[in-house]
Amino acid sequence: MADALVLEGVTKRYGQFTAVDDFSLRLPTGEVLGFLGPNGAGKTTTIRMVMSIIYPDAGRIRVLDHPNAAEVKDRIGYLPEERGLYRKMTVADTLHYFGQLKGLRGRALRERIDESLERVGLQDWRRKRVEALSKGMSQKLQFICAVLHRPELVILDEPFSGLDPLNAGLLERLVVELRDRGATVVFSTHQMNQAERLCDRIVLINRGRRVIEGRVNEVRARFAGRVVLIDGDGDLAPLARVPGVVAAQITSGHARLELADGTPPNTVLETALRHARLARFELQRPGLQEIFVKLVGGDTAPAEPVVSGEAAHE
Amino acid sequence: MNKVVAIALREFLATVRTKAFILSVVLLPGIMVGGMLGMEKAQQFARSERMPPRVLAVADETGALRADLEAQVERANAERPNQPFGLVWLPPGSADVAALAGRVRSGELYGYILVAPEAVEGAGGFTLGRKDNQLQAGRAIEEMVREAIYAVRCRAAGVDPARVAELRLRPVPVTELDGNTGGPVTSNAFARVLTPFIFMFVLFMGTFGIAQGLLTTVIEEKGSRIVEVLLSAVSPTQLMAGKILGMATVGFLLLGVWGGVGVAGARSYQVTDMVTGYRLALAFAYFVPGFLLMAALLAAIGSACNELKEAQSMVFPLSLITVIPMIFWFYLAEHPASVLSVALSFIPPITPFVMVLRVCADPDTPGWQIAGTLALLWVSVLVAMWAAGKVFRVGVLMYGKPPSLIELARWVRYT
Repeated sequence: MADALVLEGVTKRYGQFTAVDDFSLRLPTGEVLGFLGPNGAGKTTTIRMVMSIIYPDAGRIRVLDHPNAAEVKDRIGYLPEERGLYRKMTVADTLHYFGQLKGLRGRALRERIDESLERVGLQDWRRKRVEALSKGMSQKLQFICAVLHRPELVILDEPFSGLDPLNAGLLERLVVELRDRGATVVFSTHQMNQAERLCDRIVLINRGRRVIEGRVNEVRARFAGRVVLIDGDGDLAPLARVPGVVAAQITSGHARLELADGTPPNTVLETALRHARLARFELQRPGLQEIFVKLVGGDTAPAEPVVSGEAAHE
Repeated sequence: MNKVVAIALREFLATVRTKAFILSVVLLPGIMVGGMLGMEKAQQFARSERMPPRVLAVADETGALRADLEAQVERANAERPNQPFGLVWLPPGSADVAALAGRVRSGELYGYILVAPEAVEGAGGFTLGRKDNQLQAGRAIEEMVREAIYAVRCRAAGVDPARVAELRLRPVPVTELDGNTGGPVTSNAFARVLTPFIFMFVLFMGTFGIAQGLLTTVIEEKGSRIVEVLLSAVSPTQLMAGKILGMATVGFLLLGVWGGVGVAGARSYQVTDMVTGYRLALAFAYFVPGFLLMAALLAAIGSACNELKEAQSMVFPLSLITVIPMIFWFYLAEHPASVLSVALSFIPPITPFVMVLRVCADPDTPGWQIAGTLALLWVSVLVAMWAAGKVFRVGVLMYGKPPSLIELARWVRYT
């Protein structure tokens, strides 16, 4: 099946400022992509370009195999970062209006509205005006507005921001349901644990450039083996002097070592075996959180772009 | 197309349901009727109110006016017993303007009249100084002095002034006919002068008021970021078209209601010859392109701004042009075929107002001017829609500093 979303060398400049720089991405149909990055990294700009709300200065975008999202608007669901609803409209009218704009009609539309309201527990609010809703409720309402027409591609800009854990959990389940139904989902977030739970793939963007991209487990695997944890009886201090160890935290009976890229963990293991009786030797698989902090944290000197998987970009 | 209709429908309902709209439907005709009735009532009230006598000091250097002027004052006081005048006579040659001014300031005098020595012979008139600028009182005083001088002149010529007055008072009645049809003219003069203005004013309120609503909703949608959700479902062009269509429908409803009230009002004021089907049809014919032009301009301005305040400063030049017919309405109604009137008819944003005013004031407005102004108006609608569409597409997603007019022009050229 064709990729749901393809970006090739997409660049967007605002005057002197390059918001998105030579950004490439390939998202196979039916997968969930986490779009990660710190504030101001260029996530929203990229999403707006995907939605054809703004246009790139260079590069190519294909959405659902069309060059312009405008041509396939009815097959895309979009939840923008800046939320907005008509305050004076009732909940049901809002859904009805946006459903109509997405091409739904008549009974099918009414049934979808009932169904969706029930799913997010807003059925008792259908006759209420939007201004009467709490923030969490209106966010849920916007979410179901965005997916009411069962889109093939769902793009959610920060869908979980500002939600309490209960509602965030509900929204997470809805995202999973979307994927189970066969939809392709892109959502931006800066909550790494969420991305880890929900995503098939992630792409990390910083200062407009792609920092890392790939399947979640591949990304984690790439960073595995750089941190070694050792527990054991004996003198662990010599481990700090093993060639290739760039940082070491050693206490009695425990060592946490960071290795330079390309250092085989075996040299560390050999040294450790010579000096201590080991209880544990672990190559740690870092979480996305750590990878994020590592790649983005030293913001003044952005890490070299690291790429894995089939979406490698030249 | 369905989406455009959906947007138009929402826009229509959202506007029609607001209190402001319901108020304006009722309020404008209410204010107009109330204003007309109120003016009549106020005048009646003013006549019946009792005022202290207004005393005038007279320095009569001719020495011949006293009896006649007193007779005139008596006659005037008999006509308006509630607003009497009084006279005090100064000895000839003693008039001192500075001293008289002091007495006026102190409230002792309402004013003073200084009659020049040769006034009867016509080699000089009289000087009138008074406390205020009340039109009616001024006219009454001038007339009294003049009539007194005429009376003296009559007697000097051996004519009985009472006889002259009697001859002049015998009425010469006028019957007015409609010059175009030969039919009777039923309307009273006041209503006839005012009707063209009311036509124009209603059209103006309908056009500008509703188009202003468009500006507000565009800015609101932009401010609340709804526009981004909308644009994920429809194109900017569809959005603009839907909004304009919806507001145009609101305008039709409003003009329909006001038109109905107007026809009913014309019946009760007996000015049905002023409010004809032809004129109403023409008003609608000018409303449609007039509204579309204004709507396109205001939608473009709204899309470029983030706040109503910013928009207002950009709308200001436009409103300045649109008040021209309001300022010149009397001139336009009195001289509907003058060069200036014709020239103003061909300035697109104000064409509808000027033309409706002219057609109401002069049924003989040439057909080529009607056809020509309508054609020009429609051409400018197309140009404005095209340009506004471009500005709208860029502007509606732009946040931050609003663009200057030069930047707006650049958007039109480069997008």
